[in-house]
Amino acid sequence: MTISAIDAAPNDALVQTGIAPAISASNVSKRYGPVLALEGLTLDIHAGEVFGLLGPNGSGKTTFMRLLAGYLLPSAGRLMVAGHDVVGDSLAVRRRIGYVPEAAPLYRQMRVREFLAFMARLRGVPEGNVKGAVERIVDRLVLSTVADKPTRALSRGYRQRTALAQALVHDPDILILDEPSNGLDPRQIIEMRQLIRSLAGRHTVLISSHILSEVEKTCDRVAVLLNGRLLGVRAMADTADLEAWFLSLT
Amino acid sequence: MRTLRILFAKELNATLTSPIGYTVAAVFLLVLGYTFSLTLFATKVANLQYIFHQMYVLSIVLVPVLTMRSFAEERRSETLELLLTAPVPELSIVLAKYAATLTLVLGIFALSLVYAVILDRYGEPDWGQIYAGYLALALHASLLVAVGLLMSSITENQVVAAALSIGIFLMLWFADSVSYLLSPPFDSLALNLSLIGHFKPMVSGSVFVSDIGYFITSSMLALFLTTWGLAQR
Repeated sequence: MTISAIDAAPNDALVQTGIAPAISASNVSKRYGPVLALEGLTLDIHAGEVFGLLGPNGSGKTTFMRLLAGYLLPSAGRLMVAGHDVVGDSLAVRRRIGYVPEAAPLYRQMRVREFLAFMARLRGVPEGNVKGAVERIVDRLVLSTVADKPTRALSRGYRQRTALAQALVHDPDILILDEPSNGLDPRQIIEMRQLIRSLAGRHTVLISSHILSEVEKTCDRVAVLLNGRLLGVRAMADTADLEAWFLSLT
Repeated sequence: MRTLRILFAKELNATLTSPIGYTVAAVFLLVLGYTFSLTLFATKVANLQYIFHQMYVLSIVLVPVLTMRSFAEERRSETLELLLTAPVPELSIVLAKYAATLTLVLGIFALSLVYAVILDRYGEPDWGQIYAGYLALALHASLLVAVGLLMSSITENQVVAAALSIGIFLMLWFADSVSYLLSPPFDSLALNLSLIGHFKPMVSGSVFVSDIGYFITSSMLALFLTTWGLAQR
């Protein structure tokens, strides 16, 4: 039985058939003490698309992703992921997502395979399927040369890839990638972009970036955030000049 | 239950592969060995009370060294974000860390059983008192580990976590001394909070439910506060 089958609920069926959005934010705000990091964000992200969040540092991208991943709770508004409320049904949401934080954290004392197996078990992959799930993701993300190395010995590129592998090991519906190209060299950026594009359709992918060209080449749709406010959403197919549109908004 | 087991295995593995646990165990055994030899030769009495009091003092200093990294390190290295975004209840994360650290501490305590065996070989120790002493130590360890985890969960600096834990343990230790300076009902409150006040009778062989209750409820309170703190996002 797959993870998606375990938690299949009527809401999930609506998401999978495209009737309900994979991610739906309705007037979502997040406050850290006196600072309003996110203000009244309303946004729908459809199943199977690669959606980009564009904005400078401090614009609220990471806060929004952390809200979706269940790491933070919204101060106001309603946030639905895969048909589940992130506040009322947080565990169900966390079962349906794969999340890579900006720093791509890994357990330094573990080897890559061991780390992926640990994350697979934690994300609910049945014990009998763990080994297969790990080997599949090691192959898919071309990690076999480093699979038996301690994660602390990995280069930045392999660390990012391993972080992505832990997010994909349980085959989630929704992937949330915070600045996935951060710190990568140009070749690794291209590889990461191709990897993310290959996930489209089967997974809903939400990525954040402050690099226009990255979003342009990777995403189906893009939203611009500034100072915690959503300034606009547009399909890349309808955007001839992303830079001009971005400048006009900001 | 499965996630608790997975997290416990990960925590125990992290503890056993870190040099900190072995260093603490070595210091512990070195000091205990010294005390045991000294008191045995000086008193020539088959009694472990000195050793139990020594373990009480040592654990107040050494348990924070074991608990300081549990949450603080995860927060600093940002792996806590991985744990808290996995489909795992916060309580499982806290209980796994608690159980793994307590297992290590009890394992170190268990090494001191060799002194009991030596006493039994060459004398006639009161085994009832020895059992009560180990029960007191186990309960004491439970409280120290739970409070140590709570302190580690509120900071990303391990040294701060250890210093806070030791500060709280010392305050609890000397709470009964403060009670003489206070007027009712605060004097009895301070007296009842005293760590040594609940530890001493058990080590002497007098096991009271109230003393056991103190350690268990204090441990549960600390674990509850740690879980509650993690759930505040």
